[in-house]
Amino acid sequence: MRLPVVLLVLFLPVSPACAGDAQVGLDWLKTVAFAAHQTDYSGTFVYQYDNRVETSRITHVTLDDGEYERLERLDGPKREIIRHHGQVWSFMNHKMVQMNSSSGKGIFPALLPEQLAVLSANYTPKSGAVERIAGYNAQLISFQPKDTLRYVKKVWAHTDSGLPLKFAVVNEQGKTVEQYAFTELKIGDGIDRSWIAASGTAVAGAASKNKSALSQNVVSGWTVDALPSGFKKTMEVLRPMRGKHASVTQMVFSDGLSAISVFIEPSDNDEDDVAGLSSRGAVNLYHNVVDNHLITVVGEVPPRTVMQVFDSVRFRNR
Amino acid sequence: MENRQEISALMDGELFEDEADTLFDHIRQDSAAHEDWAVYHLIGDVLRQPEHIHNDLGAKIRERMQDEPVVLVPRMRSIPQKIRNYALSAAASVVAVGIVAWMSLQVAPETAPQLAMQQDNLRQASMKMPAQADEYLMAHQEFSPSTEMNGGTSYIRTVAYGAVEK
Repeated sequence: MRLPVVLLVLFLPVSPACAGDAQVGLDWLKTVAFAAHQTDYSGTFVYQYDNRVETSRITHVTLDDGEYERLERLDGPKREIIRHHGQVWSFMNHKMVQMNSSSGKGIFPALLPEQLAVLSANYTPKSGAVERIAGYNAQLISFQPKDTLRYVKKVWAHTDSGLPLKFAVVNEQGKTVEQYAFTELKIGDGIDRSWIAASGTAVAGAASKNKSALSQNVVSGWTVDALPSGFKKTMEVLRPMRGKHASVTQMVFSDGLSAISVFIEPSDNDEDDVAGLSSRGAVNLYHNVVDNHLITVVGEVPPRTVMQVFDSVRFRNR
Repeated sequence: MENRQEISALMDGELFEDEADTLFDHIRQDSAAHEDWAVYHLIGDVLRQPEHIHNDLGAKIRERMQDEPVVLVPRMRSIPQKIRNYALSAAASVVAVGIVAWMSLQVAPETAPQLAMQQDNLRQASMKMPAQADEYLMAHQEFSPSTEMNGGTSYIRTVAYGAVEK
């Protein structure tokens, strides 16, 4: 599985100059996306956001029946996420809970050509210097947005495997709003897999229990009138959500690198959440009750983009 | 409401001088109108530099003025009250005209009320996300291109410890 990646990586630095820096950046992105899914690795990384630093461990292995991935938070109370075949489980309050809504089979293939086209319309990819991260050489690829509706994204990709070793989100003032970087990483054979068997039973049990509660594609009648330029709707579903009595409408808009989700649900008038804008690292969230509906907008985009979306959510009769 | 339209008109340079004077007097006396006036100018700040919003700029200026050395000029007292008022209001008008000229270049009138409503929200930009938001983050992350690009590490946002746990 690693061979094609290595070949692609070897080819990139000698690609003809006429291909352009942007194309080199896009090729790197494809390599990174491929490597993130096809490589076996395990390592510790730090996540820095909002003046905080946290340590987590991630293990990713690809077996015959798909990818298995486990993300453990090493600081604070135990939290763990296991992903397999498009399904997500979270360990919280001492038990595994299924979090996702999709059936698992409908997960998009990584980076469709259309997505790359949308991305190129909104960002200028650029390859930078080779730096050393967690003991590996990493190629910096940055994505400079063409307007201020989105953040600058920087990825440092392992020059051999293409794995993203570091990732940073920078705002228009040049301030890093979040970043994560491996401090220790093992790539290839010899990755611990014992946890898969242990989680397997929980996985199967949770899956059968939740079969009736999956999301379905809908045309809800809700629209975003003033969608920030460069964003396109990628899906619209009616989904169950933990802790909610009613199903929630979710619309997702993407600009190729970042996404904005709009959640709409009937308001039960006992929301104890504070209305307004809140943030965690690069993610901004705005929610409030409008005409008896609780509307929540979430995205890894600047506050103004989230608020522009929130202000233009309207109901149109189909 | 009527005042707001007048303030908006004043800032667009649509009021005659005597109307403007009356309105200035009103703004000086009516705290609600004064607040509207401040909010409309805040809009300009928001547009110019959303990261550095001056909330209640007037109070901050007063605070800084306290630190300024007091210059006592006795002769000022001999200037008749009327002329002093006139000079002050003229100075205020010049400043206002400057601001109005700048504002009219910057803000289309119809966007002003909308932005005024938003300023509350912008002020809260540094608020930490509550733990209840994790469900939304998780649901969002499932379909975000960042998951495709970086794999599971981007899920770190959904389990970050920073939020206050329930």
